[in-house]
Amino acid sequence: MIRFENVGKTYPNGTPALKDINLDIEKGEFVFLVGASGSGKTTFLRLLLREELPDSGRILEAGRDIGELPKWRVPYLRRNIGCVFQDFRLLPNKTVYENVAFALEVIGRPRSTVESQVPQILELVGLADKSNNLPSELSGGEQQRVAVARAFVNRPLILLADEPTGNLDPANSETIMSLLERINRTGTTVVMATHDKALVDRMRRRVIVLDKGEMVRDQVRGVYGVDEGAHR
Amino acid sequence: MRVYFRYAFRETISNLWRNRMMTLAAVLTVAVSLSLVGSALLLKQSAAQASVAWQTGTRVTVWMSPTASQGELDAIRTQLADSPLVHRCVFFDQARDYKEFLASLPPSETNVLTAADMPTSFRCEPTIPADAFIVESTFKNQPGVYDVTAPEQQIRQMNHAIRILQIVFLALAGVLLLSATVLILNTIRMAIFARRREVSVMKLVGATNWFIRIPFITEGFIQGLLGSLVAALAVTALHTWYPLHNEFALNNVALLGTNAVVIGVGVLIGSVGSAIAIRRFLDV
Repeated sequence: MIRFENVGKTYPNGTPALKDINLDIEKGEFVFLVGASGSGKTTFLRLLLREELPDSGRILEAGRDIGELPKWRVPYLRRNIGCVFQDFRLLPNKTVYENVAFALEVIGRPRSTVESQVPQILELVGLADKSNNLPSELSGGEQQRVAVARAFVNRPLILLADEPTGNLDPANSETIMSLLERINRTGTTVVMATHDKALVDRMRRRVIVLDKGEMVRDQVRGVYGVDEGAHR
Repeated sequence: MRVYFRYAFRETISNLWRNRMMTLAAVLTVAVSLSLVGSALLLKQSAAQASVAWQTGTRVTVWMSPTASQGELDAIRTQLADSPLVHRCVFFDQARDYKEFLASLPPSETNVLTAADMPTSFRCEPTIPADAFIVESTFKNQPGVYDVTAPEQQIRQMNHAIRILQIVFLALAGVLLLSATVLILNTIRMAIFARRREVSVMKLVGATNWFIRIPFITEGFIQGLLGSLVAALAVTALHTWYPLHNEFALNNVALLGTNAVVIGVGVLIGSVGSAIAIRRFLDV
């Protein structure tokens, strides 16, 4: 599903963000991306979204080199990638329902699709009864569930999560994690960048460790690791 | 597609409403500048038409005083016929002058006079057109003559005045059009800023670039269109309620053409303003 071939990225100020990354992520995998701040996790995700292009090497998604995608095709690539962020990024003046519906409307889905999909996905994240609330009336955990609903409502092939539990207490983190697991079980590839050591250790999923732009460990059923944890 | 139109329409209207003060300023500036452009165009066409009408007509008119006796009239007739400066003359009696008078002014201004109030006149063609002035000065103070007019000369002066007026109008309009474009650009920029969260979410979920851009472009387009519609109304009102002398009067085709230009320019500056704003401030 995702393949990195000798991917390198250096920022204009000369700091290398990623150095010679090679990896394969299969369809339906659940991958943790761990590492200290500045280790290149965010760059990794930005490259997957084609918000940036690698300086060297190439990235394949679903068998296609995304670097060769013409600019106008990029939105169509992104329709296959859902995104969840630490800061939720919901629209404050739209209700829960409207926030999720917005993601379908702006890619031109007909109203009938919106009307059938949105309640279904809100049911899935357990917020059917909060459809008409504004994000400001929700707790952090609930807001993040709306964000997950928005990311998943279009049934993307890949779900990227950048520190989705970073702003949440352990109980809410747990809810989000089990939600991501359920989404993963539908066959969606999930890549989650995180700092949460306990969570990674408990889940026993594939762990990719980045340190100063280098991939220092790639472990199936891995743990966060003592060294990397100490960095932060 | 239908979903998209509904979406774009809703977005555009809410953007316009959110920035309504700026929108109003932009629309009014467009309206004022395009009214000037429209008036300048009408003026130019009127002047051209009047010149044609007068050039084909009589060059010097000797108006007889209403109190002139038959003797004075005959004396003038003889003098005109004998003068080497005058090529030929036609005498217009009261009925003929009245007919011309009726044709040259709108009915609202003609009903106070009757044929009996009209003066008689000689319509003369000078041997050399440039001598119109000499004919004028020769006959001006003859007994029984009320006035002598040489319209060609007046036309020339009027054309000159109209040309200056036109240049002033167009220069002002140019400056105002420029500021209208900048105002539209600025309202679009504010709209983009106000919607930056929406734009970033749209990019994230894979809305196409044009999907994101079009509501902003329509916003500028509508501002230009609204402004130019106001200007077209103003031009039409000017044409309808303040008609110039009949010889300047334009037909409806000329008015329609002028309004088409006005609306075209309005739509153009609206679109250009928003296109610039999108290129510079909307990073998609």
